[in-house]
Amino acid sequence: MTHSRLAGYCMAAAMLLLPVLCQAIPQRPEPQRLVNDYARLFSPEETARLEYVLTVFDDSTSNQITVVTTNNLEGHTAAEYATMIGIEWGVGASEYDNGIVIVVKPKTADSGGQVNISVGYGLEGAIPDAYAKRIIDNEMIPHFADGDYFGGVAAGCSVLMKLASGEISEPREQKDGSLAIAAVIFLTLFAIFFFSAIAGRRNNGGGNNGGNSGGPDLMDAVIIGSLLGNSGHSRGGFGGSHGGFDGGGFGGFGGFGGGSFGGGGASGSW
Amino acid sequence: MKKGTLTAIVVAAVVVILFFWVKNSYNSLVKADEQVSAAWAQVENVYQRRADLIPNLVATVKGYAEHESATLESVVAARAKATQMSVTDLDAASIEEYQAAQGELSQALGRLLMITENYPDLKANQNFRDLQAQLEGTENRIATERMKFNEASRTYNTMVRTFPKNIIASMFNFDAKGYFQAVEGAETAPEVQF
Repeated sequence: MTHSRLAGYCMAAAMLLLPVLCQAIPQRPEPQRLVNDYARLFSPEETARLEYVLTVFDDSTSNQITVVTTNNLEGHTAAEYATMIGIEWGVGASEYDNGIVIVVKPKTADSGGQVNISVGYGLEGAIPDAYAKRIIDNEMIPHFADGDYFGGVAAGCSVLMKLASGEISEPREQKDGSLAIAAVIFLTLFAIFFFSAIAGRRNNGGGNNGGNSGGPDLMDAVIIGSLLGNSGHSRGGFGGSHGGFDGGGFGGFGGFGGGSFGGGGASGSW
Repeated sequence: MKKGTLTAIVVAAVVVILFFWVKNSYNSLVKADEQVSAAWAQVENVYQRRADLIPNLVATVKGYAEHESATLESVVAARAKATQMSVTDLDAASIEEYQAAQGELSQALGRLLMITENYPDLKANQNFRDLQAQLEGTENRIATERMKFNEASRTYNTMVRTFPKNIIASMFNFDAKGYFQAVEGAETAPEVQF
């Protein structure tokens, strides 16, 4: 009895160390933002562009996608790191648990590159692990391998936004009209790129993704995503939606909502 | 005022205070206990999710690697053993037993994934790749839910053991809960390489 109690106390002491270990991940940023480029992989303009697109997506659908880059995973796997950020920062709305965390650790001279997409509980149905894996393999890593980190993240986000908005699409309460207008225009632009991507795909026969025999739905999404992700289109897509709005009512990110994560998602390395 | 009346009022006040103290302590213990149970349900859920992936995985591997039947059978046997386990009492011993059974399955799966390295056709199979991604995700879910269970268990145990709630806890038989322990090697997620 005393022995087991002693063992229990030891375990309790060990458990108390857990929060200390968890602090190895970065603290929630102040002011809160969706793009946290700690590894400095993006230019300031690219960061602003990505932040804008993700913030508008959050405003129009309540799905929060946060991008974190780091040079050091602090001894964790990319999956642990991303899941802990999701839980600690509370990415996603608490009533939907609809957050996504993308962690990118760039390739350096002495360590390989790693990437993880972690999906909140509420989006596990819309973005199953196998889809997340394919997005990483087909959309993100090809860009990362060329050193184009922004292109890879933008291409991944395009597909993730499409998948996530099919599951949960709850516009935030509008504080002012300009956000609603921004959301409408964003979705319109999204639709235009979407259809132009389909048209583009017809023209070149859809032959840009060999070696995969996955389900047609996903492959459509992936091909569309990769078209969006082609440098010209992607920058057009991300840049285009940014261009007209610089001065007009971009209120910034409203803050993380307290969503929770269960470890779903996928990782990749290159 | 009579001395008797004063005593009665004091006694009544003490009884009322005691009642509310016991009520609050008891209810907070029940709440913490429920949170541990809920966290445990999630743990079982993700382990079940892994068990559910195995028949499909075994069938897929079998199509490419027929003469690895010994490894395949050990996975099936470990799965059967692990899914038979049901834990009713969340004390340290039962959790350890549960963890050991699941750990054996983790090891058997690790060996299976290791031999798949020798079958390039299998590794190129999209169904197999999806299964691997799901398995990898499920291992992450297991790690996450175990961490959450340990946190819930720690909160509960702290409550049960600290004064003065420990008095209420021992009166109403709130027993300490166990923890998942990090076992070196046995619980590491199967390495998945593409």
